[in-house]
Amino acid sequence: MMGRLWVALLVLAGILTAALSTSQWLDGLTEDIIVQLEQAEELALAEDWSGATTATQDALQLWTDSQFPLHALMRHAETDDIQISFHQVLEYLEQEDIDLYAAMNGQLVTQLELLAEMERPSLENVL
Amino acid sequence: MEKLSSSCQKEEGITLFTGFARTIILYAIIIVGIRLMGKRQVGELEPSELVLSLLIADLASVPMQDVELPLHTGVVPMLTLLAITMAMSVLTVKSIRFRTLLCGQPSIVIKKGAIDQREMSKTRLTIDELLEELRGQGYTDLSTVEYAILETNGMLSVLPYQNQKPPSALDLGVAVSGGGLPAILISDGNLIQKNLALGGHSLDWLNEKMREFGVSNMRDIFLLTVDEAGAVYCIAKELPHRGGAA
Repeated sequence: MMGRLWVALLVLAGILTAALSTSQWLDGLTEDIIVQLEQAEELALAEDWSGATTATQDALQLWTDSQFPLHALMRHAETDDIQISFHQVLEYLEQEDIDLYAAMNGQLVTQLELLAEMERPSLENVL
Repeated sequence: MEKLSSSCQKEEGITLFTGFARTIILYAIIIVGIRLMGKRQVGELEPSELVLSLLIADLASVPMQDVELPLHTGVVPMLTLLAITMAMSVLTVKSIRFRTLLCGQPSIVIKKGAIDQREMSKTRLTIDELLEELRGQGYTDLSTVEYAILETNGMLSVLPYQNQKPPSALDLGVAVSGGGLPAILISDGNLIQKNLALGGHSLDWLNEKMREFGVSNMRDIFLLTVDEAGAVYCIAKELPHRGGAA
């Protein structure tokens, strides 16, 4: 009888641990990507377009490498939107249009911040 | 254009497959969950079990229908609910106070032949519902009922006055012999070896019994049972029905 109680408590503890680990992993991933994107923007402001493109591609690579867990854990609409934003940022970098690029890069950073925020174990999210 | 069309077809394929696979996974989880709840009938669920059943059905349907949502949006709340229910079921067995808090207490709506109107009002049981329940259990005359108890699972237990109870064999002083629990030996033409061995019977004994009923092949038997006293009950299979007008 007590075995069932322990199994139930273990399942609950497992789910809680998985939820907290996911939040921590997502925080780390988005933080790394955001750092890359901010570096890319600094390079673009200094008119180093190829450096900015490489930094953005590195950020996209980080995102693409985590596609499976992201797709399994996040709402597909959110991850798809971020994927599209990445391609738009790269497009504006190719056109070397600083205004459009900065606006789109800013939007992408916000999307990533919101994605991480959505998984954070906060009272705000619970309520 | 061709590329877009092929991409759309691929997306549709993924969605169909996802819906199919998710339905199987979620169905398996629900079956396991319901098994964990026990063997109670739906009508006999405690309030917490009823809530669990309703929530699980709703949670499963969301990721099943909306493939945009990850599977865990249904699975995690379902597992959480099942784990909580499992933990609470243990606690209700261990603690009387917890059981009372979670399941409530039975309400005595008829006490020593008198309807307790306050208790009926508390349980929101109408006189029509009470009479309906009593009729359902074969009590048409209220004066024959000594106690009626509304159980925590919503069932009404009725206890008639002692002089209204049917006499038992013991009351009548009659000696009756019981056959005990019958075990199924052949079900729909299939032999259940385990029950045959448990009853201490051999295949030869079974063949002999079958011959007594005029059946030579096991496949021709729909049901064959034997009780603890050795009494055999056998139903042969019906001949295949031929359809069509004569």
